[in-house]
Amino acid sequence: MDNYEYILETEHVSKNFGNLVVLKDINLKVKKGEVICIIGPSGAGKSTYLRSLNQLEKISSGKIFIKGDLFLHREKDRTVERIDKKTQQQLLLEMGMCFQRFNLFPHKTVLENICLAPVQVKHEDKETVKKEAMELLKKVGLAEKADEFPNRLSGGQQQRVAIARALAMKPEIMLFDEPTSALDPELVGDVLQVMKDLANEGMTMLVVTHEMGFAKEVADRVLFMADGIIAEEGSPDKIFNNPENPRTQSFLKSILNV
Amino acid sequence: MKSFLKGLIDIKNWKKRTKTTWVIVLIIIAACIVLSFLKPSEADMKSMASKEMQEMIKADEGSSRKRVTITYNSLIIVNYCSFSTSGAKEITERYVGFVGRAFQADKGFGKFAGQMVNYTYRMLGCGENILHGAKLTLFLTTASTLIGVILGTLLALGKISKNKILSKACSAYIFFFRGTPLMIQLFVIYYTLPAVFGYAWRDLFNAADNQAVYKGAFIAALIAYGLNSGAYCAEIVRAAIQSIEKGQHEAAKALGLSYSQTMRLIIIPQSVRRMVPPICNEFIMMLKDASLVFAISLMDITTISKNIMTSEISYIVFLPALVIYLIITAFFTWIFNAIEKKFSLYE
Repeated sequence: MDNYEYILETEHVSKNFGNLVVLKDINLKVKKGEVICIIGPSGAGKSTYLRSLNQLEKISSGKIFIKGDLFLHREKDRTVERIDKKTQQQLLLEMGMCFQRFNLFPHKTVLENICLAPVQVKHEDKETVKKEAMELLKKVGLAEKADEFPNRLSGGQQQRVAIARALAMKPEIMLFDEPTSALDPELVGDVLQVMKDLANEGMTMLVVTHEMGFAKEVADRVLFMADGIIAEEGSPDKIFNNPENPRTQSFLKSILNV
Repeated sequence: MKSFLKGLIDIKNWKKRTKTTWVIVLIIIAACIVLSFLKPSEADMKSMASKEMQEMIKADEGSSRKRVTITYNSLIIVNYCSFSTSGAKEITERYVGFVGRAFQADKGFGKFAGQMVNYTYRMLGCGENILHGAKLTLFLTTASTLIGVILGTLLALGKISKNKILSKACSAYIFFFRGTPLMIQLFVIYYTLPAVFGYAWRDLFNAADNQAVYKGAFIAALIAYGLNSGAYCAEIVRAAIQSIEKGQHEAAKALGLSYSQTMRLIIIPQSVRRMVPPICNEFIMMLKDASLVFAISLMDITTISKNIMTSEISYIVFLPALVIYLIITAFFTWIFNAIEKKFSLYE
């Protein structure tokens, strides 16, 4: 399984709603352990791209490879190559996702939220999963909240639980869709710290974010997206200090001046 | 008045109010137990008859034709006994027993109270089988709502499914059962279908069973009410399921849960709380619609009260009927509130 160059690869990924083009021919190759931050103005297709990776959005055309294996191939809004359901599910589980609005299951406690998928989807032993879940909770600093319902937690705590929930499936890639955008400013730090720790442990991460500080510090590569294309990409240093594309320049100007 | 309204909204006070309610309920139950021990025995009540009546009862003992009809009803804390003769000389004597004493109840308030006890007893269907009075109403309503909720959940899942044929079929079912009167549906199931397919509902039961006709009618009613309730519950369930945020579906999908797992573990449990108030409403509607079974001669509260009205020409019989319906409704509203509270823990 480990004979792959790129853990995640997209080829010519496009998406349109009727005549509206949301994503236009996006090619990306991600190495294992890379942290990629996607920035850009709203409506640029950042979230759509991230969500299309794990099939929350259906792409119109393009190929997605996970760990070197074909995960999805669609042309003209049709799946052209059928991939065995089991393989596809396995590849899907290599990706964990965190949402802007956390999307914790409100009727389950924190611990149940984390244990649900490993038990139901991977059919792992309940006790083992519970132990691992407690460890994950410790890691995100919320061990004492295991038996609380999500609505008793602050936004930042909820997002950390959501990260633990995604990690419980032992994914190799983590997708973050604006994980801190719905948080009060003073709660952002804790979530970012957890994400930094994760990056330092070698997790492959794709992060759609407006936290430029985080992107500068943690990212290996920054993608600037505008109008459905990757307008510019490069190291954080290049993107933030010497942007070439005028769109990148004006975007950064407007953001940093606020 | 203001503080009363505040108390209703304030949950902390609400807890106190529940305690108070419980204390009151327990006191009432305790009082009922004490009063039920104090009430005169059946023998006491039967020995209340006047001398003339006693003689006739004695004379009856030998003969096969009875002139005196003795009615004895007992309603937890009160009992009622009446003696009436038929034939040339019509005499009626009524007695009400309460707290160790028997009162004559032939006129005024006594008569009213006696009639109330008698009618209530008959409408509740005390001491008789389940196809009688309040028991029939309760059983029919509960069973058909249960069928309705299960059927409604399936119909709702069918209606929102991506399979177009299934979705259209479920929509058509819901349209049909919500678009026609319940009474006609009842008639079709009770009369038309057996006529078309050449069977009778009573055939389901042993021919020697003298209740077979009623049991058959009850089955027909249960099917009609269940199918009808299913259509209404389907819309309730569908609305509740679709009110759950899209993010829940997405989170489940991202974790690799299948559609059925997502529905079973994530969406439906969350929508239950949202379903409870409208299902409670549906249950109470059903409870009242259950009175339509008089159309196929099932002996529920409504049928019995109508019969009493025509045979005894007594118009006060509808008062205890109203009270019984109200008590049943109040009881179930309370239960549904408790369920709703249990499911609202996390919201």
